[in-house]
Amino acid sequence: MGTFRYALRDAFRLLGRHWGLALLTLVTATAVFFLVGGSALLVVNTSRLVARVEGELVIHAFLKSDKNMEALREKVRQYPGVAEVREVTPAEAMDRLKKSIQNQAQALEILGENPLPPSLEIRVERAQDVPGVARDLLTLSSVDDVVYPGALASRLARVSRVVVEFSLVILIIAVTASALVLFNTIRIAVYSKKEEISVMLLVGATPSFVAMPFVLQGMILGVAGAAGALGLLGGAYRALVGGVETSVPFLEMVKDPDLLARLGLILVGVGMTVGWVSSWLAVDRFIRRALRPI
Amino acid sequence: MDIRLQGVSKIFPPDIRALEDVYLSIPQGEFVYLVGTTGSGKTTLLRLISREAQITRGQIYAGSYNLKKIPTLSLAIYRRDIGVVFQDFKLLPDLTVMENVAFVLEVIGVPPREISERVGEVLERVGMWRRRFLRPPQLSGGEQQRVAIARAVINSPAVLLADEPTGNLDTRTAEDIMQLLLSINASGSTVIMATHNKYLVDAYRQRVVELRAGRIVRDEKRGRYDVDGDF
Repeated sequence: MGTFRYALRDAFRLLGRHWGLALLTLVTATAVFFLVGGSALLVVNTSRLVARVEGELVIHAFLKSDKNMEALREKVRQYPGVAEVREVTPAEAMDRLKKSIQNQAQALEILGENPLPPSLEIRVERAQDVPGVARDLLTLSSVDDVVYPGALASRLARVSRVVVEFSLVILIIAVTASALVLFNTIRIAVYSKKEEISVMLLVGATPSFVAMPFVLQGMILGVAGAAGALGLLGGAYRALVGGVETSVPFLEMVKDPDLLARLGLILVGVGMTVGWVSSWLAVDRFIRRALRPI
Repeated sequence: MDIRLQGVSKIFPPDIRALEDVYLSIPQGEFVYLVGTTGSGKTTLLRLISREAQITRGQIYAGSYNLKKIPTLSLAIYRRDIGVVFQDFKLLPDLTVMENVAFVLEVIGVPPREISERVGEVLERVGMWRRRFLRPPQLSGGEQQRVAIARAVINSPAVLLADEPTGNLDTRTAEDIMQLLLSINASGSTVIMATHNKYLVDAYRQRVVELRAGRIVRDEKRGRYDVDGDF
C-alpha cells in the first residue's frame, strides 16, 4: 500500500512537472477517444436501424396448392437464417388485398372464385440471408414463385458492412494515435528522470517499482482522456438525439441507458488499457537498458 | 557479507583491459583503500562489486550471491545491502536533503513513520539535520557528500563502496568525511574506498590494495599510499 501511495504521488509529481505536455496529451487523448466513442455510437445506431429494417424484410413464397403446407412450413423453418415462417391462406390473402385497395374492393367481386394462391411469409434474421433463402425456396417443387426485396436486402447488407468497416478503421487509427501520443509523453517523462531512475536502481528498487509511477501516469492520462471524451460525447449525443427526434421522428436512435453506460465503461477501459500498455512499453525498454551492466 | 574476486578480468570493447586476473578477498567489516593511478581499474572494480558492470572472466561472490549470474530481482535485493558514494555525489537536485535520503527507503517499501525516524537519525549522524530542508544546489561540496553518505548508509548496508568520496573536497572537509566513513566502518559495515588522497591513507592506516594497469600489485595491511607515478 505504501508502495502504491509512493507511486501515485510520484505519478502526480510527473504530471505536474510536465504539465504542458500532460495537458497536450490529455487534449489529444480526449479528441481521439471522442472519435472512438463516436464511431462506436455510429455502429450501434446503424446496427439498430439495419436490424429494424431487416425485421421488416419479408420473402413471399407462392405455392402451387395448399397441400402439405404444414410440413413445408416446418421444412422452411429449418433453413439457415430464417427467423419466422407464417402460412397465408388464399382467404387471408384476399382479405389483405381488400383492405389495401379499400374503396375498389367491390371490383374484386367480379372475379367470382378467389384466384389468389396460398403462400408462406418468411422473415429472415439478417438482410444478407434473403437471397440464399429465396434461392432455396425456388428449388422446392411445391413453390410456384418467390417474391423478395433483393435490391433492398443487398443494399442494407452493404451499408451495414461499410459502417462496421469504417468504424473499425477509425478505431484502429484512433487507438494507435492515442497509444503513440501516450508513449511519447511517458518516454519524455522517463528521460527527464534518467538520473533518478539510475539512482533508484542502484539503491535496490525493483524494475516494477521504478516503472509504476510512469505506468500510473499513462493510465491516469488514458482514463482522463477517455472520461473527457465521454463527457463531450454525452453532451453531443444528447443534443443529436433531441435534434433527430424533432426533425426526423421516424428515425429512432439508441437511448437505452444501460447500453450507453456499458459503452462508456468500455471507452474508459480502452483508455486505461491503452495508457497502461503504451507507458509500460516506454518505461520497460528504458529500465532494461539501465539495468544492463556495462 | 564477505566479498571474493576469483580471477576477475574486465575487458571493455574493443580490447581495453580494465582489470586482469584479479584475486581479492575482503571479509565483512574491513576497511580497504583502493589506490592506484588514474585508469588503473579502481572504479571498474567498484562497479563490478555494485554490478553496474559485468565481468568478462572469473567470478565475484558477495555473501551468497554470485554476481556473474544474479537475476534482476535478486540484484535489487543485493543492492539494498550495498551503499554507494560517488565523487560527484549524484544527489537529486529537485529533492531536499531529507527527501534525497528518504528516497532510498521509499523505493524499498519502508513504512513512512519508520522512514522519518531513520532519516532523522542518519542526518544527525552526518551532521546535516539542521540543513534538512535545503536542496543540493544550496549546499557546499562537503555537505553534499555528507548527504550522499547518509543516503548510502541509511539502509545499514553490509558494504559501502566509495569512489573518490573526498576527490572534490578541501583537506579539512575530506578529513571530516573520512571520520564519518571510519565511524560507519566501526559500526560493522565493510568500507571499500577508491582514493588518490595520500594524506588520508597515510593518516588513517588501513588495508591498502594497489592496482596498476588492471592488476593488483600490492595488498598490505595497515599500508601507506606509496603509489608510483601518481600526481
